[in-house]
Amino acid sequence: MGLKIICLMKQVPVPSQMRMGSDGLMDRTKAKSIINVDCTFGLEQGLQIKNRVKDAELFVVSMGPTSFEQSLKKALAMGYDRAILLSDRRLGGSDTYATGLSLGTLLKKLGFSKDAKDPFIIFSGRQTSDGDTAHVPSQVAETLGIPQATFIEKVDYQDNHLVVRRIIEGGYQVLKVPVPCLVSITPTSIPARRPSLKGAIKAKKAKIEIWNLDQIEVNTGVVGINGSPTIVARVVDIERNRPPVKIMEGHTAQELAGRLVATIEQSAESQIPIANEIAHKKADLFKKEAAPAIPAETKPASTGSEFPRVDFRQGARGILTWVELHGKTPARSSLEILNPARQLADQLGTKVTSVLIGDNISSVAQEIIALGADEIIAINDPRLKEYSILPVTSIFAQIIERQRPEIALFGATTSGRELAPRIASRVHAGVTADCTSLKVGEFVHKIRKSVMYPCLESIRPTYGESKLATIVGFCCPQMATARPGTFQTLKPDPARTGTVTEFKPQLKDSDFVVEIMETLREEGGAQNLFAADIIVSGGRCCGELDDFKLVKELTKALQDKGINADWGASRQAVDHGYAPYGRQVGQTGKTVRPKIYVAVAISGAIQHIAGIKDAGKIIAINQDSQANIYRHCDYGIVRDYLDVLPELIQKVRNGFTFGVTPSPAK
Amino acid sequence: MSEREIIETDVLVIGGGPGGLATAIHLADLIQDHNEGVEKGTISEKPLPLNVLLIDKGASFGSHSISGAVINPIAFKELLPDTPIHDIPFESEVKQDELRFLVPGFAFKAPFHPPYMSNQGNYVASLGKVVRWLANIAEQKGVQIFSGFAATELLYNHQGVLGACTGETGLDKHFNRMANYQAGNDIHAKITVLAEGSRGHLTKGLIHKFDLAKDRNPQVYSIGVKEVWEVPEGTFEKGRVTHTMGYPLALDQFGGGFIYGMADNQVAVGLVIGLDYRDPTFDPHHAFQVYKQHPFVKKILQKGKLLRYGAKTIPEGGLFSLPQLYHHGVMIVGDSAGFLSMPSLKGIHPAIQSGILAAKTAFEALKNADYSEKQLALYEELFKQSTLYEDLYPVRNFRQGFHQNLMIGSIHFGAQLVTGGYGLSLNGKLSIEEDAKCLQPLALYKNHGFMTKFKNKLTFDKQLTFDKVTDVFYSGTQHDEEQPCHCTIPDPSLCADVCFEKFGAPCQYFCPAEVYELVSDTKTGKKEIRIHPANCVHCKTCDIKDPLRNLVWTPPYGGDGPEYESM
Repeated sequence: MGLKIICLMKQVPVPSQMRMGSDGLMDRTKAKSIINVDCTFGLEQGLQIKNRVKDAELFVVSMGPTSFEQSLKKALAMGYDRAILLSDRRLGGSDTYATGLSLGTLLKKLGFSKDAKDPFIIFSGRQTSDGDTAHVPSQVAETLGIPQATFIEKVDYQDNHLVVRRIIEGGYQVLKVPVPCLVSITPTSIPARRPSLKGAIKAKKAKIEIWNLDQIEVNTGVVGINGSPTIVARVVDIERNRPPVKIMEGHTAQELAGRLVATIEQSAESQIPIANEIAHKKADLFKKEAAPAIPAETKPASTGSEFPRVDFRQGARGILTWVELHGKTPARSSLEILNPARQLADQLGTKVTSVLIGDNISSVAQEIIALGADEIIAINDPRLKEYSILPVTSIFAQIIERQRPEIALFGATTSGRELAPRIASRVHAGVTADCTSLKVGEFVHKIRKSVMYPCLESIRPTYGESKLATIVGFCCPQMATARPGTFQTLKPDPARTGTVTEFKPQLKDSDFVVEIMETLREEGGAQNLFAADIIVSGGRCCGELDDFKLVKELTKALQDKGINADWGASRQAVDHGYAPYGRQVGQTGKTVRPKIYVAVAISGAIQHIAGIKDAGKIIAINQDSQANIYRHCDYGIVRDYLDVLPELIQKVRNGFTFGVTPSPAK
Repeated sequence: MSEREIIETDVLVIGGGPGGLATAIHLADLIQDHNEGVEKGTISEKPLPLNVLLIDKGASFGSHSISGAVINPIAFKELLPDTPIHDIPFESEVKQDELRFLVPGFAFKAPFHPPYMSNQGNYVASLGKVVRWLANIAEQKGVQIFSGFAATELLYNHQGVLGACTGETGLDKHFNRMANYQAGNDIHAKITVLAEGSRGHLTKGLIHKFDLAKDRNPQVYSIGVKEVWEVPEGTFEKGRVTHTMGYPLALDQFGGGFIYGMADNQVAVGLVIGLDYRDPTFDPHHAFQVYKQHPFVKKILQKGKLLRYGAKTIPEGGLFSLPQLYHHGVMIVGDSAGFLSMPSLKGIHPAIQSGILAAKTAFEALKNADYSEKQLALYEELFKQSTLYEDLYPVRNFRQGFHQNLMIGSIHFGAQLVTGGYGLSLNGKLSIEEDAKCLQPLALYKNHGFMTKFKNKLTFDKQLTFDKVTDVFYSGTQHDEEQPCHCTIPDPSLCADVCFEKFGAPCQYFCPAEVYELVSDTKTGKKEIRIHPANCVHCKTCDIKDPLRNLVWTPPYGGDGPEYESM
């Protein structure tokens, strides 16, 4: 039946080898290049299907310079049949929108359009390590007009459809997706196979098919830097020097635990949750660093640009936000974005309009208004009980056409991160992923010889959290997704009033071709480590002495208080079989960034430190005062954890939550 | 795709170090010259196809290459006569060459250089860089080179060696096939050249199978532990070569330290220790950390920054420890065979020279279409007429003399110098014991072993000195967590029944990467060895030094292991 499998792939520099050049741009020349790790999981999924469908033809497709050939050859060595590279200097400066459009156009040219004769499946990685946006898969799917499923960790191919398991916050969803479709794969899926020598020999001889823009017949005005609705205004380094550890003083374990509680409560005195403290710290640093780092063309107009000021919005006004609903419960991140939305609206003198989509959900409206919205657009439809990307994209496209907002904000959940880019591609807008700060600003545009205002400055960490990039764009709506946990939910004001409008969107049957077979939201197991606010990790001793009982008990106590907490383990503990590999924290396991990391009897091998260095506050409990962990943590208790943890568990049961606020979504 | 597919080639070279690459490069040159001659009509024979396949287990060429290194360029002139020396990516010509004797707190400058140890005209180099450069040349000359593939076993037919196979991947820890299983390949070759480096596991099997070490001395080894540091400008000039003897090694230990000035304010510093040491608590990595605390070394490193760490064994038995170098369809070159020039401790140029000889032999064999043991014996004939042999012959008894201790060794060496290498032997050949047999019972070292003697120096400050796990991080080593353990203990009961009591689990000390850890159950007190194969830096010390020969090193998945970059 001629099934075709396409895997999108990108080559990236090894993240740890990236350096920033003196010009503020990434110097990729010195770093070794590899296939983006997530993409290797996509490649493997293609091969998995080939195992079942022997006559399937496998294509690996990429866009970039010809140096990408080495990675394409590796894919051929793994078992792919054809390698295709879209390579053209005019593609330089492409943002995710332009990349999605270019790749989509190439794929259409290769015959993979939505009404193609032969069935096809496109795989991709979840996101790239140098961009971290997760946009391109959605945008390619939108360009091709085919259904998609992103953040997928399990794929089952059944004739003319796939049954896939999608990761969502705190659980998973099982979807039935018709073919053709695009599926992005998470690194919790099947790791890529090693190429065989035979495959490598074949690949060395194979030719990479290189296409340019003229061959795919795309207007160069809509791709590359000209076609990109967003540009990087600046990039600065994030310095993260942890102050020296504060070692708790006291004679008994009880005293020590008490001291820790007092110290943490003191630091949280201003009632700012720790996550915000980090965000502010980052923002401050940004401010401090920004001045010398601003390239000439981004200098604020007030410093004397001769260019005329241009309001690029062409009449677009207002701020749109999406309220992600789980049943009738709004996701916490959707409530958080009302905070920056409110601030931006006040600065711009405009309104916040929030979109509620679900079945019989108008009752949620007042809660959203109380948290900062001025206007609610409610869409009630029994078919929309659970979020599904195709109908929600259609709804947003219709609302955006009607409302013409200048800004649209989404929580950067797995749903928000696939939805925003698909909408952006449909309405020809730019989108910035996973922002930690959103501001109003101006941009001196040297090419257009004008000062563009008022732009949304979307600020986001990038390059493995080592840099802070500011992204701007001049197409409305200016879209962004905001990293969960970064913005504080505003204090509800029950007295606030706002309008609620029912909207009846036009939805087609084709918007409902993806079937949601099962949705499960609960304790997400190891996957939850990425999202947990507090991680309690144990070293080998914890396995030897009490089989992780106390570590798990402390985690449970925190969960009972409504905290998004989970437990992890050091490499040593995992090696010794006390915890599954999925819970391993550290460079070879997971890199985590909880608000609080509690290291219990962990010595702090350099590999472990590498995996936790982005945590908000690190608390170490270790008998050995010389342990390396004390060089990399904020608070320390030098005492046997068997004595300290029961005290801490008691404190938690009495209401101590390390300054972290309970998650309302739970 | 679970069947093993077959790859055919004329010559298969296993290992992309200096020996393997020299073999491939020289063979490609010989074939090209031959074919050009045939075309011009100056040679009236048939042209030969160039079917040379070279594989290496490192992720890229040079990733597993580690050496001091001070290189004698002589072999490069033989291998690449048209390439000027300054085209080779050496760090610097040797500009200053000194030997120091270290005692606690002091360093005495030796007024003269011991014979064979002068480095005039040699070059300080990073072997990894040189290997990458050689790999490029081999590729340009039409050799099929592939890194990231480990040959796991030799294939035999009734006459001898038929080729080798690459390992299967995608197995879990218990050898079960996982979803990403990938079968290995069988490579059938007319001639297989083993260039695996020190203590190659295929070479070990081949020597055993055909008894190729019969009537020869056993191979003996040293372990070299090395770090590369970046130091402030002007601390240690590039091209400066310092060797040290003495501290922290005991008098009955063979070995010494080295400090080489590289380009870009980098310094290579290391300690090489004979694996014939007797103290079961001796720890080469820790000894190196103690070495760095000597004021002479500390002064150089104290304001610097650690960049890379690595460790590797070095075969030093010399001429009498070389096995028979060939069998039907197979030849052994470089460190795998044990070509190492003592006492200057140089293995790179002998590796290249042996590769050239093996290439000449392979070329003749291909022309005659004869791959028999008899035809390949040409390799040993060529060796006996070579300058390499001339280098090795006078020092054939050198290492054996130092087996007892430094003093006796010096007397032996003195006698060898005046007798043309004959020395104090009865029949012209000093014998030597295998390293594994040298360890003495723990009881003899309870109160004066290495760990007791230096107990005040074994707290590592992570500035100048580092624990093993941190150093392992700096080796860049990586292994897929899901794979069968490649550092194996065939009989775990031997550990508890014999080793712990008698030797005190020396593997926990001699492994420079903390692959072996002695753990005791807190409840039952029962001790066992826990293996951390992901730490392994592929030095092979365990395979050599275990007193019960109960540790066997096999290659992990191709592409796994250290990433040495500039070592």
